[in-house]
Amino acid sequence: MNAVKDVKVKNKSKSPGGSKNPIVRSFDKWKAWIYLLPAIILLLIFTVWPIINTLRMSMLVNYNPMKAVGGATFKFGFENFTKVVSYPKFKQVLGTTMLLCVTTVPISTMLALIISVCLNAIKPFKRFLQTIFFLPYVTNSIAIGMVFAAMFNIVGSFLGSSNEAIQSAGIINNMLGFFTGNKDFYINWINAGSSYTSNIIVMIIYIVWNALPFKILILLGGLQSVNKQYYEAAKVDGTSRVRTFWRITVPMLSPMIAYVVITGFIGGFKEYSSIVGIFGDSMGPAGDAGRLNTMVGFIYDAIDSNAGRASAAALILFGIILIVTLINLWVSKKRVHY
Amino acid sequence: MKKLCIFLAILTAISASLLAFAGCGASATPTPDSTPSATAPATQAQPTVTPDPPAEKGYDGSEVTIRFYHTMGQPLQEILNQYIEEFNTYYPNIHIDHSQVGGYDDVRNQIKTEITVGDQPNLAYCYPDHVALYNDADAVQKLDSLIGSKAEVTRADGSKEIMGLTEEQLADYVETYWEEGKVYGDGLTYTVPFSKSTEFLFYNKTFFEQNHLTVPATWDEMYALCKKIKEINPNCIPLGVDSEANWFITMCEQSGSTYTSASSPHFLFNNETNRAFVKEFNKWYSEGLVTTQGLLGNYTSNIFVEQTSYMSIGSSGGTSHQKPEKVDGVSPFEVGIAQIPQVNPAKPKAISQGPSIVIFKEGKKITEQQVYASWLFVKFLTTSAAFQADFSRVSGYFPVIKSVNTDPVYTSYLEKADGFDYLQALAVKVGVELADSYYTSPAFVGSSDARDEVGRLFVKCLTITQNVDSGIESAFEEAITECEYRFE
Amino acid sequence: MAKKNTDLIMHDKDIRAVKGKARIGEIAAKTLIYIFLTVMAVIVLFPFYWMIISSLKSLEEYRLTVPTFWPKTFHFDNYANAFSTANLATLFKNTVIVGVISTILSLVITVLSAFAFARLEFKGKNVLFAGLLATMMIPGELFTITNYATVSQLGWKSTYTVLIVPFLVSVFYIYLLRQNFLQVPNELYLAAKVDGTKDLKYLWKVMIPLSLPTLISITILKMMGAWNSYIWPRLVANDLAHRLITNGLRNAFQDTSGNTDYPVQMAAVAIVSFPLFLVFLFLRKYIMKGVSRSGIKG
Repeated sequence: MNAVKDVKVKNKSKSPGGSKNPIVRSFDKWKAWIYLLPAIILLLIFTVWPIINTLRMSMLVNYNPMKAVGGATFKFGFENFTKVVSYPKFKQVLGTTMLLCVTTVPISTMLALIISVCLNAIKPFKRFLQTIFFLPYVTNSIAIGMVFAAMFNIVGSFLGSSNEAIQSAGIINNMLGFFTGNKDFYINWINAGSSYTSNIIVMIIYIVWNALPFKILILLGGLQSVNKQYYEAAKVDGTSRVRTFWRITVPMLSPMIAYVVITGFIGGFKEYSSIVGIFGDSMGPAGDAGRLNTMVGFIYDAIDSNAGRASAAALILFGIILIVTLINLWVSKKRVHY
Repeated sequence: MKKLCIFLAILTAISASLLAFAGCGASATPTPDSTPSATAPATQAQPTVTPDPPAEKGYDGSEVTIRFYHTMGQPLQEILNQYIEEFNTYYPNIHIDHSQVGGYDDVRNQIKTEITVGDQPNLAYCYPDHVALYNDADAVQKLDSLIGSKAEVTRADGSKEIMGLTEEQLADYVETYWEEGKVYGDGLTYTVPFSKSTEFLFYNKTFFEQNHLTVPATWDEMYALCKKIKEINPNCIPLGVDSEANWFITMCEQSGSTYTSASSPHFLFNNETNRAFVKEFNKWYSEGLVTTQGLLGNYTSNIFVEQTSYMSIGSSGGTSHQKPEKVDGVSPFEVGIAQIPQVNPAKPKAISQGPSIVIFKEGKKITEQQVYASWLFVKFLTTSAAFQADFSRVSGYFPVIKSVNTDPVYTSYLEKADGFDYLQALAVKVGVELADSYYTSPAFVGSSDARDEVGRLFVKCLTITQNVDSGIESAFEEAITECEYRFE
Repeated sequence: MAKKNTDLIMHDKDIRAVKGKARIGEIAAKTLIYIFLTVMAVIVLFPFYWMIISSLKSLEEYRLTVPTFWPKTFHFDNYANAFSTANLATLFKNTVIVGVISTILSLVITVLSAFAFARLEFKGKNVLFAGLLATMMIPGELFTITNYATVSQLGWKSTYTVLIVPFLVSVFYIYLLRQNFLQVPNELYLAAKVDGTKDLKYLWKVMIPLSLPTLISITILKMMGAWNSYIWPRLVANDLAHRLITNGLRNAFQDTSGNTDYPVQMAAVAIVSFPLFLVFLFLRKYIMKGVSRSGIKG
């Protein structure tokens, strides 16, 4: 932890505001707040106040806004928190959330980085391919959800016994069958009786797919502002591509990478709608509903009937994300080159 | 590190001060007659003290605008608009501002949020569990005094009507539908039925005739029939059931076993009878005789129209999806519609679905006159045979009053009913005949959770292959725990 | 795929003395890059393709248990239906108004804030920044109840304001832009100060041109936000005069029993995506321009 301190001290001595003229300094101080004023006002109204309200609700046992309108009052205490933590499925929910987080963020970041670098390295079809990688932005989310569910879905009653009709094993299984040479080969991805592992694999693919365009956009944007002279120099020195990638590209892109990783983790802990997209509101395959429930799904479940408990769960999630982000920031302070 | 500490310190300080503030807020608000949070107004059962509008008063002809939330698509809105016009010839000062909010859940969510700031509409499409939710905020107008009101109102054309329902009007409502407004544990009327649906057994009539099969009346007959069909075509799944939740709840109702109760303890579905029928259907599933939407991974109506399945239990509202696509202008088979199988055919039971209408009571933004005007509009829509007939014809839902049979357009429409192009007319015809068998399960906050939970439970139990008894037992216990955790 | 690529390049390194073989290696590397990009492009494009073919199917074909990859018969009338059923012109107009205004205002706020965080020194800067980051971590769903009460009290319901103002500040974007601003060498700013250049002028003349790719990315994301936002607009401004596109498309194509006519809905989605697609082609040019400019100056 001392390292953080050192880095910060170093940063400070470098920073521009540390100019020796005291008049300029005091003016800067005042000016910064003017610049920040619109953002701060809006955040106070639409973000800070709701957070305060969430805190309040979390401390009112079984708080329910509907009942509050109806005239009910609520006891003050920590029971919402203890109830959430002692819930039998809480560990499972937290585990799934974390698992999805630690798998999807590195995979999608790495893949996006490779695609961006490749895009940056070619000349013919460059524009065309770039356009394609931007295209998902104009594809409405309604369409995307339907496609993925259809791709993995097996249609047909099926327990593995011979007298059951499988109508369609889904595109993915058809392709697997094609590549393995065994036409009857299939994996039960998301249907009744599927395994947790295959469910998670589908979710990882879907989440990575979803995250890719945004990350490519950011990384490509960053990559294109990297000064070409560095590459020219590397070329003259005869540095290999791999070395160039690790020694020039990654350090130059590190602010962008830090950004996509940190926001990726924050988003990852809030994973919810992607699971609804594949498995529907039941958050799991038929017959094992709630198996893939995540923290936000858990909050959603409670929000109708018990806003107090939902608030408590949200604050617990907030605590977890806060810790992870602080670790992330600490790492990036050490690693990111500005 | 120092900055981090400061940040955390500030965060802690803010939290601490907020907690203190929250504590004050909580302890400052109690009112003398406040009830513990678990007691919903619906279960308070104090009909005498509810602040209903006085029965002798009524709509005074003043300008009011009524907001009405529903889920009607374009064609139904056109019919609604047409009848609003007619309504306005009697009451030109009552303006109806209606909008399609989305699906039923969207309507509920919208209103739920609006109630917290007192901005709810005057009228809304509803299901019983929505009303139970609104009751938490004590926002629903109980209708008994309005129904019984003898106050006279004058229409624009000079004629008069009483605010309440006449005896003939009241008797005209299909009784099972009307009872749905009273499932909140206190015997009072909270909603008016608007248009209804149920579940049917759709069957491949052509296939049945070719193989000399008879439509099963009981579940025992159904099992024998499925076995027979499986012999004829081993690659088929004889029966598909679209809604697992409806199946479970209906089985409870048919067997006379308990499911839920509007008063505590609410969740009663873990009992011998229910576990027994679940075990029975587990056998069916393992023999490949039945599938459900969750298990199939698609609507069961789809395999029905593709003739991979020969029977489908689904909502009458989805009748159009049970109709096979024509090949070269000819239907591949004729569709038959029958009552769903029963445990006891002498006392048939089928679930009642479809929207009712709820009126929100006087509040922050709702005036007494708006409540009266809302009631007049609801009364108009649900007692007008012409409207109910037109609405049924376009929607495929059942009318809620018996007198639609006097509407000539409607009767000639029903006469066309067949198993091909006029399948929807057939559905309505069968549905009206079976009206006596419809039931509604109790509504309370948590009843929709219970519904979801038993649907999941059912699917889970069907897929158990080993140690079926103990597997079913633990699945039931888990479902009860889950419901109770959410409900407390 | 990526691993093969690296192997090949390492191999390339070992024999780079041999000129002709190096050329072959170069070509092989390029080929692999193209194959990789093409495979990824196909995967990325698939939903787009699906949207188009779905929009041309009949409802019966769409509902088939085994989905078809090519429509049996082309139903171009779905497009005509989509036009006549949904009030597309109004929906589109509302979305554009909300999208453009909120993007412009949001960019101004983001640039100013990011500049303050990246270049200015003031007491409590790091604490404030950490605080901002922390606000991203609470699931937004919980804000809805409180924010709804706030906008109701402000009397903003069913206005454009309610669709624009509450989401103008995005900590995500401030953070992103700050990261970008930090890359601009301090010396430039200090030199400008010595010259007596005002902050805003410096921002406009140096920082913004240098960060153009990022600003355009933010614009795209913000526009897409307006395009896809659903829950909040439905709650606060679901009247015809202010309804946004996703809301309109979600509900317009339900038949009488609440089932959606997906092919027609897809057709509508395709129709409204098309202008957006054009805007993208246009913006892509600007990304390139921004790049070349920053290449010269940086």
